[in-house]
Amino acid sequence: MRTGAAGETLSDAELVRRAQEGDELALEVLVERHQDAAFRVALSLVGDTDLAQDVVQDAFLKAFRALGGFRGEAAFRTWLLTITANAARGALRKQGRRREASLDAVGPVASTEVDPEESAVVGDEAARARAMLVDLPEKQRLAVQLRIDEGLSFREIGEVIGSTEGAARVNYFHGIHRLRERMER
Amino acid sequence: MNMRCEFARELIPDLVGGRLAAEEAARVGSHLETCDACRAEADFVRLLFASRPVAPRELVSRVREAVRAGEGSARRPWWGLAAAAVAVLALGIGVASRGATEATAPVPGFVAEGTAVNVWFADDGMIAGAPALDGLSDDALQALLDELGSGGTGGTA
Ligand SMILES: [Zn+2]
Repeated sequence: MRTGAAGETLSDAELVRRAQEGDELALEVLVERHQDAAFRVALSLVGDTDLAQDVVQDAFLKAFRALGGFRGEAAFRTWLLTITANAARGALRKQGRRREASLDAVGPVASTEVDPEESAVVGDEAARARAMLVDLPEKQRLAVQLRIDEGLSFREIGEVIGSTEGAARVNYFHGIHRLRERMER
Repeated sequence: MNMRCEFARELIPDLVGGRLAAEEAARVGSHLETCDACRAEADFVRLLFASRPVAPRELVSRVREAVRAGEGSARRPWWGLAAAAVAVLALGIGVASRGATEATAPVPGFVAEGTAVNVWFADDGMIAGAPALDGLSDDALQALLDELGSGGTGGTA
């Protein structure tokens, strides 16, 4: 059984099942489908495009390596994003060790590519709103990003940030509140 | 029949992201028409959503190549074995003794994959233990994992 061009219409669960049977194309469809989400999670944690790409690559490899043990209790996407967030934290720790005591903090998110469909309408205001995300505490930042960019439920966000559904909801609303306050300044 | 603000606010991200079914989108939309506070929030969420970054174009091929490099010419799913190995090694269990009783004929794909497996583990600093797994069949590894998963820490009880 091979996953062909029709792979794009298969559910994640079906793709994972095929991938577990050794279907490489199923893996590729999973990568194409989830790379943007993984990249955004990585970027919002490490704040650097190159490092975020390293993190995403690492996360996919880790996920695929562990796919044999994936039982499908969590959605593949949630699971992948959890692995991505962990990989990003690991990369930051490594970087922190390397640059210990350096004041050269993680770079700004400013120069990141934006979805071409949207870029026409992305004005200064939107860029400003996005840039303010980096100032939020990590859990609020991830909650806002996962809820708005990826449409994760609060239960799923809780899985990624390691909290309850209720705490994920609170983090989201606190984050939004804070961003809007700053936006009005 | 006005939707409550709390409920609307939970769904605003999905409305903005085009992820709501038509009926629900209409309900949230009509709330926004009558509620300035929620509409202001929706406007802000729209700004954030519009500025979401996308992965650089080269990322897909990068990941694809990395996955292939790890795959080698294996016919069987390499990741299952690798995951098993990671779990076993991470727990620091003595595999060899159990392997001696449960090992079956060498798994063809796995032996050929030796280098690929080493590449994977080099990164995690687990390479030292990897050869101990060479003689284990997939089933033996799975049995070991099941036991580790359900049975706690020892494996020697
Ligand atoms: Zn309202």
